[in-house]
Amino acid sequence: MVQKLVVYPDERVNISCTDVRNFGKTLDDVLEDMIDTANEHGLDALAAIQIAYPYNIIIIRNDNGSFDEYINPRILTNQGTFESTETTLYYPDIEVKLTRYDNIKLIYEDRRGNPQHTDISDRKLSSTMQRKLDYLFGGTFLDKIDQNRRDKIIDSLNSKGLKPYTDDVCPTFSRKDYFVSFTDKILFFMGLSLLTPLFSFAPQTVANIYAFDRYGFIAVIVLMIGFFFYAQYEAKKYRQCSSCQIGNNIGVIVKRVAVGIAFATASYFIVNPA
Amino acid sequence: MARVVVMGGGVSGHTAATFAKKWLGNEHEVVVVTPNSKWNWIPSNIWVGVGEMTKEDVTFDLAPVYEKAGIDYRQAKAVSIHPEGKADSDTPYITIEYTDPSKAGQKEELTYDYLINATGPKLNFGATPGLGEGSNIGTNTVSVCTADHAEHANAELQKIFEKAKAGERQKILVGTGHGMCTCQGAAFEYIFNIEHEANKAGVRNMLDIQWISNESFLGDFGIGGLHMKRGGYAASSRLFAESLYSERGIPWIIGAHVNKVEPGKAHYELLDGTMGEVDFDFAMLIPPFAGVGLTAVAKDGSDMTGEIFAPNGFLKVDADYTPKPYNEWKASDWPRTYQNPKYKNIFACGIAFAPPHLISKPMSSPNGTPINPTPPRTGMPSGIMGKTVAHSVVDLIKKGPDAPLHEASMAEMGAACVASAGKGLTNGTAAALTVYPVVPDFEKYPGLGRDLDYTFGEIGLAGHWIKHILHHMFIYKAKLKPGWTLIPE
Repeated sequence: MVQKLVVYPDERVNISCTDVRNFGKTLDDVLEDMIDTANEHGLDALAAIQIAYPYNIIIIRNDNGSFDEYINPRILTNQGTFESTETTLYYPDIEVKLTRYDNIKLIYEDRRGNPQHTDISDRKLSSTMQRKLDYLFGGTFLDKIDQNRRDKIIDSLNSKGLKPYTDDVCPTFSRKDYFVSFTDKILFFMGLSLLTPLFSFAPQTVANIYAFDRYGFIAVIVLMIGFFFYAQYEAKKYRQCSSCQIGNNIGVIVKRVAVGIAFATASYFIVNPA
Repeated sequence: MARVVVMGGGVSGHTAATFAKKWLGNEHEVVVVTPNSKWNWIPSNIWVGVGEMTKEDVTFDLAPVYEKAGIDYRQAKAVSIHPEGKADSDTPYITIEYTDPSKAGQKEELTYDYLINATGPKLNFGATPGLGEGSNIGTNTVSVCTADHAEHANAELQKIFEKAKAGERQKILVGTGHGMCTCQGAAFEYIFNIEHEANKAGVRNMLDIQWISNESFLGDFGIGGLHMKRGGYAASSRLFAESLYSERGIPWIIGAHVNKVEPGKAHYELLDGTMGEVDFDFAMLIPPFAGVGLTAVAKDGSDMTGEIFAPNGFLKVDADYTPKPYNEWKASDWPRTYQNPKYKNIFACGIAFAPPHLISKPMSSPNGTPINPTPPRTGMPSGIMGKTVAHSVVDLIKKGPDAPLHEASMAEMGAACVASAGKGLTNGTAAALTVYPVVPDFEKYPGLGRDLDYTFGEIGLAGHWIKHILHHMFIYKAKLKPGWTLIPE
């Protein structure tokens, strides 16, 4: 069955594909859909993700007009490079020059799961295969060119009204930032309180400042725990949110808890009226 | 009083022994049998291998630590397990042979109530002709698998740097020395640290540095690769690895089974069945791992090794060892409690347990040679397993034989890995990666088999700082200094 092609700004092409594990009817169906779609659009090559199937599958038209099928392909060896001028269906009307391997040795499986290998020395076929392999690993040929050139191409596509769907992208300000903001304010005043010995405050005032430090430290811990769980909730809410990664969140927490511990310890020795 | 015997004092065994002792107290006995006198923080060996740390920086004496903890320490190697006892006694025991210089060669029987096998691997250099004999490394290559190996590797590397400084072009080969190796990560770290040091020494332009491994794609790392959530999508570790190798000017040979090593030359077979060879002046090739060669003996004295151990010498635990094709592998095949199915008082953790199958896609050449990474069971998972097994054993002793066992399946366990790509306070780099779960669960996470919310990776200077901090933290923890239990595995 002919499937709809994934064309920019549809970003599903960035999905990293998975190896085919079951060689059976489902694979046959996917391959038939790929062949039907390629024939319908007059294409010489197609990666499965280009019709939104996230599998490591490529088909390339051979000299007989039929398609060679490459399941789970990997480049085993490469030799030499050349400058390839390429276009791809995913980015309409875009042409780029980039470096590709001249000769490649490919290992792959056929639709029955039998291991196969082939040497590709034809530059056109070699560059086509490498371009399709980029798709399988969650990239496009734009990932292989320098940042400036890439930005210009994306800008030109945007100017034509082709922009990625951004409805569920991580917002520039999220509610979890309230936890961080409030914590930072407490930490600021805890830090400020360390200057207490420089002034001649009344004993009760010093006691109050020390009490603030103690409760402030507890508040920092509680806020950071709250931050962690709310950040986890937000990470699941937004599809695109690189700042929601658990590593970033842990970094935020560790930094503030460390500062809190340092200030609380310093307060114990410097501010503590006892 | 129960006696828990732990065979092995590496990351997993040391963790198991120290937690078991802490939880059991002085009412029960914990004995550690390990042929080594020192504990080694293996992840830092790569820095010893480039001269950025000394052997003393990554090791410490075990005896005083175990004495302080109240653990009975025997510097000896375990030889055999007798889970049914012997003709005149039902008490299970192991036989050990001392390596402690004061008792070297003496043999002894050591009875146990619970046995934890955490021997780690035998470095099977002998599997590749020319790589070494048995577990001893040969003279053609170097290794960073132990602190001594790493020290030797650095001495040889410095000779290469000297030759390069003298204007002699040198070839460096780093990777895996067999088609069934694991620990690609260590070789990955070592090659980039060499490259980093070569730059510092001003000899990079005189070195041809080459990677060779059994991975079918760069960035497989023995776990079938990993995917990092970037911009809302999963970026493959292959893209990350290929970018890094290209940036540093390191070409790669992948899908390779090194089948023979000669002075200055490694021969290999590729996944397509073709043969090749690569010259080198300096080579660090990781050997394959095997079980340490323990035997098991039945009550009547007959050999029952095959009942307890898998053919590769690792101990069978509660995994599903039924041979299955790749498409039928499941997360549930992986062990949860690490208890031997036949002898319930025997456990295995770390590298010592027999995995049910690979994690990476199994591959072989048309000649039938298997060429694929074997599952890594080192580092964080190894420590978690050790602690879990200790918890189970302690519960069995304190609560009785019906106590539920603790679980730590690698298919439900996350792992963090910090891979150094160069050491330096201001110019160091390391890749910090987390993966969840270690073993992909294709039923729970259709597609890639992993939860991308808990899988991320970055490379940079901060990663190096983390790696360095972890070095000190884990050595502090292993020395059982105040608060050691608060430091996670």
